Amino acid sequence: MTTLHDGVASATAPTLPAKPGMSMFAIGTAIGAIVLTIITAISVGFSLSEIISNFGRKNSVVEGLLNPDWSQIWSRRSRSAFIETLQLAVLGTATGATVALPLALWSTTFGNPNRALRTLLRSFNNVIRSIPDLLWAMLFVTAVGIGALSGLLALFFFSIAVTTKLTSDTLDGIDMGPIEAANASGAGLTQMLRTAVVPQILPSYTSFVLYNFELNLRASAVLGLVGAGGIGARIEFFRGRGDWEKLWGLVVMFFLVVFIVERISVTLRRRLV
Amino acid sequence: MTDSKLRINLMPTPPDGVELPKKPLAKFRWISTALAVALVSWSAIGLDAKWSRLLEAPADMWTLGRVMFDSMEAGKIPVLLSAMWESIAIAWLGTIIAAIFAVPLSFLAAENLVGKPVAWMTRQVFNLLRAIPEIILAIAFIPIFGLHPMAGVLAIGVGSIGTLGKLFYEIIEGINKGPVEAVDAAGATRLQRLRWGVLPQVTPEITSFLLYRFEVNIRASAVLGLVGAGGIGSDLAEALKFKDFGTAGLGLIIVVLGTICVDTISGAVRRRIVSGKKSMLDVDHEASLHVDSMSMGN
Repeated sequence: MTTLHDGVASATAPTLPAKPGMSMFAIGTAIGAIVLTIITAISVGFSLSEIISNFGRKNSVVEGLLNPDWSQIWSRRSRSAFIETLQLAVLGTATGATVALPLALWSTTFGNPNRALRTLLRSFNNVIRSIPDLLWAMLFVTAVGIGALSGLLALFFFSIAVTTKLTSDTLDGIDMGPIEAANASGAGLTQMLRTAVVPQILPSYTSFVLYNFELNLRASAVLGLVGAGGIGARIEFFRGRGDWEKLWGLVVMFFLVVFIVERISVTLRRRLV
Repeated sequence: MTDSKLRINLMPTPPDGVELPKKPLAKFRWISTALAVALVSWSAIGLDAKWSRLLEAPADMWTLGRVMFDSMEAGKIPVLLSAMWESIAIAWLGTIIAAIFAVPLSFLAAENLVGKPVAWMTRQVFNLLRAIPEIILAIAFIPIFGLHPMAGVLAIGVGSIGTLGKLFYEIIEGINKGPVEAVDAAGATRLQRLRWGVLPQVTPEITSFLLYRFEVNIRASAVLGLVGAGGIGSDLAEALKFKDFGTAGLGLIIVVLGTICVDTISGAVRRRIVSGKKSMLDVDHEASLHVDSMSMGN
């Protein structure tokens, strides 16, 4: 950013207006960014030569990636883990999104006249949102036990966080006319929300749910790393054994599927919005 | 179907010869709803979860929370804080590395700057990178770098190239043609055209997206430690593994507070960057960050 405005040919004609200087804010941000980069690089122990030398070395991980073993895809255990992953993603999205809609509606001024309750809901969502999916999974595995149920609960909370946030952002910009009309005709709060608000946000809400499903599908692949079910358990198994060919075969296959599902979902979403 | 009939009946009858417009998309909506319901029921029936445990889950979580609060030790705070700082550092450096690759690549993905075949190929690279979760990348990088934060930095860096690149080329494709034509008319080379015609237009939005991605990456880097790639995740995983619930609880609080804190600062800077400028996307709305941009183009 610092180089944005220097290096211009000097203005010789006196009629040219004075070039505006860079704003203090831009300079401050640029300096802050550079300083932060240097400090973080030191504290992490960043070294470019290390990257180059480490990548140059022959290692089994990259070799495994170059010769993936596809046989895993057809094995019974991997297939059932695969289906479990899909089911986790579907159920996590469906349950999370169902809870997210009322939560988003109740955290708006028109959907919830009680200010204290509104603030409570919003801070609740902020806290949920700041906990990453895998951390949820870790907590549930600790409290509820190893298995798909913990994965489902983790995805449930993760979906609540994502869909509520996206939906409430959309709710900020809706047309207030229908709401006034519903209120004027004597609708109760739920009736008003049902007839005046939900129809307005339904297309974007659906597309957020689909987007959330994409996120969940990707997340559910790694839930198994902490014992929360799905294909991650197989990935962790091969990682533990150092069986990189099989690991990459599985991972590449899985992400091909994610890629295809995502394409379908993007097409659907484009149609909705 | 009964629904639409009901609504029409409520409306005043149109004059003869005037037909009410048909409700659009009804078929599409019904088919997709049926499919979604079928998919959800298949998953609910098929998922091999211990459903009986579901009823006990809230009590279990409550117990876990209480144990966490009861056994907290203030002495652990400095260690956890420095681990959280490492997570933030990993996220920041990863974002910077991603930007270094994503900015030039996004020029190659913008159809208004390069030909369609080149743009298409670059976009597929972005799509592929976007599909891989950071933690899988970390698994791949750990045997290369050892249990070092560098593995985390590179995992975040490589993982963010796809998303950043996609957002960036969409910004670039939305630029005003005028300045580009002006520098062309003044005889600029290709590089000069980018530098003076394109870059000044896109810098504010690119910067604010970068900051936004930094916020997302903090969440990712907080769990990278699970597989040993540095940051607070390893402390958390270890504490939970060895049933040191007090430390785990403290760590959780530090993750939540740290994340909210960075979000707030970064959000304020983002708002300031785009304020006063009519921006193509409203950066304060995550909705436009994710969904609109992802459904546009490509």
